[in-house]
Amino acid sequence: MYSELVPLLLSGALVATVAVALISSKVSTALIMLFYSSVILGTTFTLYGDSLVGLLQMITFAGAISVLLLTVILMTGQSELAIGVRRLAIYGVLASLAVAAASALAVFAGGEGSLALPSTDISLTVLSFIWQYREWDILILMTVFAAAMVGVTNLLSEAK
Amino acid sequence: MLIDQSIFMATGTILVFLGIASISYSKNLVKSVMAFQVVVFGVNLALFAAGLGQISRPVGDTLVFMSILVGASAEAMGLAIVVTVFRKYGTLNPMEIRRLRG
Repeated sequence: MYSELVPLLLSGALVATVAVALISSKVSTALIMLFYSSVILGTTFTLYGDSLVGLLQMITFAGAISVLLLTVILMTGQSELAIGVRRLAIYGVLASLAVAAASALAVFAGGEGSLALPSTDISLTVLSFIWQYREWDILILMTVFAAAMVGVTNLLSEAK
Repeated sequence: MLIDQSIFMATGTILVFLGIASISYSKNLVKSVMAFQVVVFGVNLALFAAGLGQISRPVGDTLVFMSILVGASAEAMGLAIVVTVFRKYGTLNPMEIRRLRG
């Protein structure tokens, strides 16, 4: 029974933070809410047994992309910083409470029971197939990432 | 289909549609990039939900892994283009940028 509450709490917190981010007229408020939604999504992945993807989600979106967004907001002069706004703080606290409650339910009430990887021979075959081509996968990803970084550096550099 | 799976699938779909609607109606290019990030979140959640409880779960996880990196790269490029557009036109409103063209 409690295990059904976990995805509901996580989904509710995610949709609420994203909706506030998209509806808000202030860009800085949207940035803070997107940071919260990144953390919630990373927590969802982690709670459902995929800690590597959850960690990557938090590092990439809640870390790097949030800092990049903040830099762009400051560069374009749109930083009406919304620090100290009571309504924003209430949304943040509600989202944090929902994530904390979902985490507690998942850990202590056995919400993770239906989420374990099925231990059949077929799953091991799929795993070995994926890990067989893992180097090519990572190489392609790193190439895409490096190309994006080079493009960003070129576009942000001053023309002499 | 698991209950968790259907809930996350529905949430992912909602996020994708919210993001697309916000991209369509946004009058600020930074907000458009943020809406693109929401679309990426929705896709990630839907891909993750598709693999929940399935034998092919590692495939879903790998797709989420790839989607995160590709989405982050695309968003970084988008933000760099936003800064370039702001330097050239002095505004971030797409309507004004279109009016200034030619």
